[in-house]
Amino acid sequence: MRLKVGIPRGMFYFDYYFLWKKFFNNLDVDVVVSPKTNKAILNKGTELCVDEACLPIKIYHGHVDYLKDKVGYIFIPKMTSIYKKEYCCPKHLGLPDMIKHSLKDLPPIIDTQVNLRKSDANLKKFAMDVGKHFGISSRKAVKAFNEAYKEYEAYIEMLTSKVIPIDVNKRYNDMAFITNIKKERYGRKILVLGHSYNVYDHYINMDLIKKLNNRGYDVITAELIDENRAREYASKLPKRMFWTHGQRIVGGAYYLIEEKIISGIMYISAFGCGLDSVLMDLVERKAKENNIPYTLLTIDEQTGEAGINTRIEAFIDMLEWRNRDEADISTHG
Amino acid sequence: MDRYYMGIDVGSVSTNIILMDEGKNVCYKKYLRTQGRPIEMLKEGIREMVKDIGEVEIAGVGATGSGRYLANIIVGADIVKNEITAHAIAGLNFNPNVRTIIEIGGQDSKIIILRDGIVVDFAMNTVCAAGTGSFLDRQAARLGIDISEFGSLALKSKSPVRIAGRCAVFAESDMIHKQQLGHNQADIAKGLCDALVRNYLSNVGKGKEILGPILFQGGVAANIGIKKAFEESLNMDIIVPDNFDVMGAIGAAILAQEEMKNKKRTSFRGFHIHNMAYNVNGFECNGCSNRCEVVEIRDEIKVLARYGDKCGKWSNFIEDDSTKLA
Repeated sequence: MRLKVGIPRGMFYFDYYFLWKKFFNNLDVDVVVSPKTNKAILNKGTELCVDEACLPIKIYHGHVDYLKDKVGYIFIPKMTSIYKKEYCCPKHLGLPDMIKHSLKDLPPIIDTQVNLRKSDANLKKFAMDVGKHFGISSRKAVKAFNEAYKEYEAYIEMLTSKVIPIDVNKRYNDMAFITNIKKERYGRKILVLGHSYNVYDHYINMDLIKKLNNRGYDVITAELIDENRAREYASKLPKRMFWTHGQRIVGGAYYLIEEKIISGIMYISAFGCGLDSVLMDLVERKAKENNIPYTLLTIDEQTGEAGINTRIEAFIDMLEWRNRDEADISTHG
Repeated sequence: MDRYYMGIDVGSVSTNIILMDEGKNVCYKKYLRTQGRPIEMLKEGIREMVKDIGEVEIAGVGATGSGRYLANIIVGADIVKNEITAHAIAGLNFNPNVRTIIEIGGQDSKIIILRDGIVVDFAMNTVCAAGTGSFLDRQAARLGIDISEFGSLALKSKSPVRIAGRCAVFAESDMIHKQQLGHNQADIAKGLCDALVRNYLSNVGKGKEILGPILFQGGVAANIGIKKAFEESLNMDIIVPDNFDVMGAIGAAILAQEEMKNKKRTSFRGFHIHNMAYNVNGFECNGCSNRCEVVEIRDEIKVLARYGDKCGKWSNFIEDDSTKLA
């Protein structure tokens, strides 16, 4: 029987699942993914996780709990840095340790560190370390990773050719984050901003993207913006942004705002997120300068949708109201 | 006989029903405490309305508030709108030049920024309800003061105490500490008003360009202590409209009047609804691991609405789209 490694459907899953799956398959290991977030996973996650963590971290605990007796290994990499001179959120750094502290009876955890802060060469070490868990030689592991990476690059290229990850996923079938996305294009675009694990987890954000589509709006996400372009715009900040997600969120938003591609921004932020407290303020200021409507949706474990629906409806009413009176609008009174 | 537009605002704390004539004058208003029983309160409100003024002709119905979909199911509305739009419409009707609306209700607090009669920006409190009416309600109860006297008590304060306003729980313990030190009630009441205003301006109002005329709407606008605290903090005049407590319902009625220009018959189900028995059933669907909490509302004859399911298994059973929740 082939070995099975579990990948929890949370956190960096939404950025790297495609790469990880190919990599493990190239190592002759099967991948099992936890189901889409649901109430049982949320309940389990909030029960197991320390109280202070943000919602996506809590939900991640629930995903790990779901997988723990179904697979031989669980893959929870320690994502320290994924770009030179940059860092991930401290919660990513501590994720495997948090999990091991809070959950009992876990299978072996593959918690290899990814740290590219000094050099990309570290990726080679990452591949070799993961390979060791399965008794695979260094050379073979690096080759398996490099091949997976090539396919991952093709996937990234599809994203930046304006295929929203949701659609890409449909094409690959096994990454359907959000289903039933309408194929029509409305021409009115809303940027849905935030960490990928908040934007693409339909349970966390109460299906925001679908709700906007149903109201006749296209959705753009930061992942659709070419990385170099986002970095170019983020470099306009007076101080270098040292969070990689921050580069993408702020850079992508600045580009779309300055080029006047979008009619509004909705920022999804988990209650208590330290990164977002900085990022959303940077984006809000830029949006205001350029007269682009902006709103914040704060999410936590509440499942009542009335609050979020009111904010979405009011935001769309405002867009349409402003649109009708475009000619005589004056933002600064 | 005159024709009226009915505006309904089912909020977390209060349920308001108003009647407005064609000239947008409020002819009747009813302010009831929701007390967690929105359906009963809607029926109660309609019953009292019939008792007070009889069964007048209803030309259109608008519903708003966090219970707006429920109101639509029970009463039958021609338009269902979110509170922000409803409050903006009502504020503009009261004063066409309004540039800022402060609205503080039971669980929500909002700021609406308008320029030239258009909403250009808004914000609502996040998941936390600190700095809203229920916060004041709770603290008034702890002080043993009736909420309706809270504001006038605060005005008597000579040297207000400082109370932490970030969180209702922090505020409560801070307030108790101040009580233990022997501060008088007026100074504590004023301290709470200042804390609420500070919280509002630094959270909801953060980064917003607050320009006059400023309207103060919602149930908390009844509290003259809060009004005073806003005026001191902003150094600007605050206008509280006569119907500050039912502005959402007025906005809904105005929107209904607009809507009826393109509609032949109102969807109003009739005054008899206050005699109907409604049955609300909640159950957890076990069709999948989402375990949605489904709510089913029936009248004496049929299922009126089902909602709460993510997949539509239950809500799609109802033919009429308007009864489906978003």
